[in-house]
Amino acid sequence: MTAPEIIFDDVSKFYGDVLGVNRVSLHIPPGITSLVGPNGSGKTTLMNLMAGIIRPDRGTLTLRGISPDHPQQLMRIVGYATQYDAAPRGMTGLEFVSMALLLHGFSQAEATRRAWAALDRVSLTDAANRKVGAYSKGMRQRARLAQALAHGPDVLVLDEPLNGLDPLVRAETIAAFREYAAQGRHVILSSHVLQEVDVFSDQVILIANGAIMAEGQIRSVREEMHEHPSQFILHCRDAARVASLLIGDAHVNEVKILDDGAGLLVMTRRRDDLAAALSRIAIAGIEIDAVLPADENVDALYEYLIGGGR
Amino acid sequence: MNISTELRQIGVIARLELRRAFLSKRSFWVYLLALFPAVIFFGHAIEVKVRHDRWSRQGAVQPAVIDRLNRGMTYNEVIKAAGAPIRDFEWERRRDEEEPVRMRHVLLFDGRRRSDLTFRNDLLETVRTRPLASLDEDRQIFAGVFQFFFLRVAVFFGCLGIFLNLFRGEMLDKTLHFWLLAPARREVLLLGKYLSGLVASSLIFVLGTVLCFAGLLWANDPAEVQQYMNTAAGHELFRYLLATVLGCIGYGSVFLAAGLLVRNPIVPIVIVLFWEGIIGFLPQMLQKLSVLYYLQSVCPVAAPVEEGTPALVRLLLSPAAPSSVWVAVLGLLGLTALVLYAAARVVRKIEIDYATD
Repeated sequence: MTAPEIIFDDVSKFYGDVLGVNRVSLHIPPGITSLVGPNGSGKTTLMNLMAGIIRPDRGTLTLRGISPDHPQQLMRIVGYATQYDAAPRGMTGLEFVSMALLLHGFSQAEATRRAWAALDRVSLTDAANRKVGAYSKGMRQRARLAQALAHGPDVLVLDEPLNGLDPLVRAETIAAFREYAAQGRHVILSSHVLQEVDVFSDQVILIANGAIMAEGQIRSVREEMHEHPSQFILHCRDAARVASLLIGDAHVNEVKILDDGAGLLVMTRRRDDLAAALSRIAIAGIEIDAVLPADENVDALYEYLIGGGR
Repeated sequence: MNISTELRQIGVIARLELRRAFLSKRSFWVYLLALFPAVIFFGHAIEVKVRHDRWSRQGAVQPAVIDRLNRGMTYNEVIKAAGAPIRDFEWERRRDEEEPVRMRHVLLFDGRRRSDLTFRNDLLETVRTRPLASLDEDRQIFAGVFQFFFLRVAVFFGCLGIFLNLFRGEMLDKTLHFWLLAPARREVLLLGKYLSGLVASSLIFVLGTVLCFAGLLWANDPAEVQQYMNTAAGHELFRYLLATVLGCIGYGSVFLAAGLLVRNPIVPIVIVLFWEGIIGFLPQMLQKLSVLYYLQSVCPVAAPVEEGTPALVRLLLSPAAPSSVWVAVLGLLGLTALVLYAAARVVRKIEIDYATD
């Protein structure tokens, strides 16, 4: 049996003449998936499409086999913490979470119990009886997160979920995402905090101008970028000699000896050719202590893809 | 998802929305509209009570004295029979070259009726006797106020304020996503919101109608009121309340649908107001697409239109209406179902568009 996936099939969305996303096709497996892209790139559009609060102009999508055309089924398995800051007027944090649970069919007592548990999870119990309108930005963010988590959905969709969270809550929230994903659930999030995404994401989707630039595990995404030079740090005793052997190879773009002389930075367009060259060097008796990828993180990809390449 | 779950969701949505419908700042002017006629009727009742007490203290005459008054009696004869009047005012009237005429106005009160006497050169010329408060007259006034102000202005604009904001207000507040993210069919959301608006508007305007009616009764003679209560009062009040609730049902559905379709509230106000205003001139078939067309039949007392009113204005004030109350009720419910069906088609496709990334 295949894992339940989120599937976008040739999905396009326009806001009048303005492009939202264009011909997006994705298969997102369970785990933590991060949508990364600059403002206006289409991240929120993708998330809103998943939650069914906007409809595609073209193509189809399903979340674990359910179409957003059926919100009564879809929203039972989806929890969406939107970027929209407002809550219905006059609602307290507790009401904001528990009222949504009542709509899920929970009894008043169960809804209240779950609401307290969710608020506790985001450290908002002290302010539970205050009006959401009086919350700070970070507190409203946590309230939305609590609401998304409260009914235990299989798919968590979180728009910039770490914005405005203090370091402790942020760490706890990331741990909760990991725990969620470990149970075979989907956690889809967008973030501008690229280092964090890099650390805890199972896969990334890079998006710019409404188009998917790359998708998959960070390593595999990196491998898709053949034309983008990969950077490696070689730790070796005779850096100058290794550099002289590599510089003549066609696949090597650039070689730099590190400042401390204990290694060198190599940029190559073809990893396999570099691996073969390093084997030859080793066979020739020149010792290489370690080979480390220097740019295998989302920042590097992001800069390359979104920033137009380097 | 079964029907009981959906009914429960409708109940939850309606309950959540009710508080906002009753307590939001936007609803305060709805209360003003609903209670304004009651203020007029209670004001009238208080005026009647105050006059009655003051004039009774000043000295009420025997009813037989008033009944015996005849044209041609002298001022002194009248005063001798009636005693000191409530009001006695004399003036001189001059016209061109004629001799000045001494005019006099005298007011008498017998505890229930007031009699306005006019003397010309000390001879009684006219006697105008009428009850201090007339239930029949007040019922006519109530019918006019109810049809021309309450239904056409208060219920119309009140429903506009409540129902138009059910979706449009959420868009303006950027809170519609809260509802669209609920595990409920959009039609369930629509019905839940409609129900909340209907309960709120019905309660507010039913209260307004009942208070008006109470003011009407309070102003009048208790014996006359008792007789009215024993005969037509219950039936008439029921019909007025039915018209009020039907007005909320009909206008509510229209403005709920309008709130889904347009952002600018001026547009539906002008269109619906215009449509409701011209139904008298429309063919019978098109008249059935108007809320007012049905409400006319439910009102128990025809609204007074003064004699000599031009036919065009008469048609505007009292357009044609179905003859049977139940045809009107079923017709209005049918029209409402049609409008809600159209609204459900729209709400199925509604999207959040207050921000995009």
